[in-house]
Amino acid sequence: MCSDQVTSHTAPQTASKGNIAIRVNGVTKRYRLYPSTKARLKEWLWRPLKRRLGRPAPPYYRSFTALDEINFELPKGHTMGVIGRNGSGKSTLLQLICGTLEPSAGNIEVNGRIAALLELGAGFNPEFTGRENIYIYAAVMGLSREQASKRFDDIVAFADIGDFIEQPVKSYSSGMLVRLAFAVIAHVDADILIIDEALAVGDAFFVQKCMRFLRRFMQTGTVLFVSHDSAAVTNLCDRAIWLEQGKLRMQGSAKELTEHYLAARYATAEKAEESTMPEQQAPNRAPKLPNMPSKLDYYDPRQALINASPLRNELEIFAFDETQESFGQGGGSITQAILRDAQGRALRWVIGGEPVSLRVDGVAHRAMQGPIVGFLLKDRLGQTLFGDNTFLTCQDLTLKAGQAFVAEFNFVMPTLPRGQYSIALALAEGTQQDHVQHQWIHDALLIESHSSSESTGLVGIPMHHIALQGVDENADAGPIQK
Amino acid sequence: MSIHKPAVSPLAIGRDIYQHRYLLKTMIWREINGRYRSSLLGVLWSFITPLLMLAIYTFVFTVVFQARWNIEAEHGQATFALVLFVGLIIHGLIAEVLGRSPGLMYEHGNYVKRVVFPLQVLPLVPCCSALFHFFISVGMLLLVILLLGHPVHATLLWLPVVIAPLMPMLAGLAWLLSALGVYVRDISHVSGLIVTVLLFVSPIFFPADALGETFQRFMYLNPLTVIIEQARGVLLWGQTPDALALIGYSVVSCSVAWLGYMVFQKARGGFADVL
Repeated sequence: MCSDQVTSHTAPQTASKGNIAIRVNGVTKRYRLYPSTKARLKEWLWRPLKRRLGRPAPPYYRSFTALDEINFELPKGHTMGVIGRNGSGKSTLLQLICGTLEPSAGNIEVNGRIAALLELGAGFNPEFTGRENIYIYAAVMGLSREQASKRFDDIVAFADIGDFIEQPVKSYSSGMLVRLAFAVIAHVDADILIIDEALAVGDAFFVQKCMRFLRRFMQTGTVLFVSHDSAAVTNLCDRAIWLEQGKLRMQGSAKELTEHYLAARYATAEKAEESTMPEQQAPNRAPKLPNMPSKLDYYDPRQALINASPLRNELEIFAFDETQESFGQGGGSITQAILRDAQGRALRWVIGGEPVSLRVDGVAHRAMQGPIVGFLLKDRLGQTLFGDNTFLTCQDLTLKAGQAFVAEFNFVMPTLPRGQYSIALALAEGTQQDHVQHQWIHDALLIESHSSSESTGLVGIPMHHIALQGVDENADAGPIQK
Repeated sequence: MSIHKPAVSPLAIGRDIYQHRYLLKTMIWREINGRYRSSLLGVLWSFITPLLMLAIYTFVFTVVFQARWNIEAEHGQATFALVLFVGLIIHGLIAEVLGRSPGLMYEHGNYVKRVVFPLQVLPLVPCCSALFHFFISVGMLLLVILLLGHPVHATLLWLPVVIAPLMPMLAGLAWLLSALGVYVRDISHVSGLIVTVLLFVSPIFFPADALGETFQRFMYLNPLTVIIEQARGVLLWGQTPDALALIGYSVVSCSVAWLGYMVFQKARGGFADVL
């Protein structure tokens, strides 16, 4: 975590254009690795002496280049992803931008106040309590005592770690540390946020909260987002840079860059796999020929097989939590939400690809003209995967004050890649274009996908038909052979 | 902010202190408060410790060793304890600073590596908290002076003036040692040794004039000698401080502060690389 207020590290000739948040100019970071402290002393004292005496004076250290001639610019208001494997120099680059490290060559220009979430518990003194750390961090960020006091309650509410705020930070769990760290950087009026996505751990509710904050921040602020997850980068960022072994391998739009990144990664992964498993067993599944969907409308011919295999997509569902963060005018409220299977049994977990029914119970606190109930299923980054509402189907309902209501959505649960998902529920009144929001519960239901046959895509869709077969050479050549 | 090209002028020291006064206040308060945080008696220890020390030294040096100090005849045995105590609490000031400084940057590793932190204010924290404890000890001393019926002199109001010149010296040493301590960890062992040596080469257990001419001259190279003698003068003997000595001392002390500050600011760029 760090702060820079309109810092121009060096080079007056690069007069800052008003719209650049971060400019990295030919930055190189070299470390001197000393085998021992003695070598360091020799380097300082003995080597200059030897050189002065005109004797050969080889250095006592080994040089390690962590970053090599990095150049890029990040305009204000943009979000840039930084991707690269472990050890590619990502952390070093971010530390240089924060100003905790100094470049060996080149310069970095930062316009605005930076707050960074880089390493676990970053910038906290483990001996100090959460409260003390908040005040000290606020002071470092240039907030006055009064400003810090004003924000203190917001920070504590965001972090939501209860009485631990009065305990030394060293007694925190890693989840609590991240909560506090994120809460703090979210409330210090930073212009630039630097976030290491690997640290956005914590439970799904908190991650959703962070993502909501981040998306709101991105509308005006500048974000540098570090991740191994190229999907997250495409989703959140508009630009990206790719570091490899300390060099800037590529920069460009996030989408384009992650495509290349993935391609390169799969290429190296395949190479590794080829060498380790030269012969792969052919799956002993008999080719299924055209197979009409039978009794179910959306019948995936693989379903029975997948369900019996470890590939099946188990989605664990956590009970409805009405205490979750919500907003709205309160003309009505949602009291219960359950996901049920085709037989009407409430599900604790569901297998992706099966028909389910989402039932939402609620009560109107005052008379309602045209209530609308809707849901959204979001992934861990807060991105909406799908959702629907009752508006088109049931427009003309009116509710009396105190009347209960039930909404139901029947759909086939898509298979979801491993991860955490949440369902947001909303109760509104009016039309889709013009309505009053009565209650919106951000993370009413949580879904955890444990194992998946889905390797790509945000969701998997049940396939009506899949076929693959060899074609006889003598037979009528199909389009495949041309 | 000029973090990346740290300012080294003497004026920058004042600016740093003013600019980061809230931070400094928070850290000092936390340092004082935090020391006895999980103990039963809390801040009371700040009072109990000097009292106990005073009692023990009185016992040891009046009963166990029959220490020779020219004043015994006129003021009685117990006065020796007071004389001793004044020396000890001033030595305590420098001992705390020398003891804490070499490891200071390690202690605050997160502030070095993960935040753009005004590191130059960190060495001031032990200096100020040591000063706080010093004044508590002085309070205890006055209490004992009253109890023993030793005359209370109005000159004790000069004490802040006598101690003030020591502070830049302490700050300078703190900057110097905390910066060097990052690169050479042995510094902490050396400073521990120096603290012990200072205890015995300062006029704490014996008056400066107990030594011969030659040794006395060397004794004034010791940064504590002038301050201890002057503090004793104003606290116990009702003497007004020696202005010339204090001014001379201040000049040296401020030079040390500036030197320490410069070394710290030059060296800090490499802290994050080493830690």
